Amino acid sequence: MKRLSMVQWLNSNTVLLSSVLQIGDSREINARSYVLAVQRQYEWFGGNEGEGAFPVFARSLPKLPVSAYVQTRRLNESPVLSVRSIHLIAVSTAAVVHIGSTSTIDADTRIKHIRQLSEPNIPFSLSLPQAAIRITKDG
Amino acid sequence: MNYTVINRDVQVGDIYLTAVTSSAIFLIGDADVINLSSAFDTPPESLIIGPLVPLTPKGS
Repeated sequence: MKRLSMVQWLNSNTVLLSSVLQIGDSREINARSYVLAVQRQYEWFGGNEGEGAFPVFARSLPKLPVSAYVQTRRLNESPVLSVRSIHLIAVSTAAVVHIGSTSTIDADTRIKHIRQLSEPNIPFSLSLPQAAIRITKDG
Repeated sequence: MNYTVINRDVQVGDIYLTAVTSSAIFLIGDADVINLSSAFDTPPESLIIGPLVPLTPKGS
């Protein structure tokens, strides 16, 4: 049996990008968030760029081998979990805030981060892309 | 292996959290299975200094 969760006061500001704020019991939560974060020195976006698959998004997760079988016994001497107040500023990128009990939570986040700066002393107009230039950058 | 947990009285006062992010969880309650992962791909080459060029993934 699972315990009862009691929270008197919850103050939450922002919940975004595949995050979950669940009040009450749940059975299964699956949260996924794939982020391509590009920061550029100049405000420039070249249309459909970045739509191809970066390896980090396709990569399968390593599986943790669990050899031992664990028989778990839970004795709930007190059936209640009680919290007076929760003050939350942000829940982001496939994160979960859960008041209540659950069976399975599965969350996965992939973040590809790229920063592009122009060379010092080169004017903005010259640092804009030329049609023929295409370089491959990935790690 | 046998594992016994005795859950006694839990009473918490005030919780102040700035952020829960990137497949993290904040749970008040019980759970059976929790599986969380997050992968960050930020190698040194991800800082590109030079003319602004469109993003091209490897192999394309």
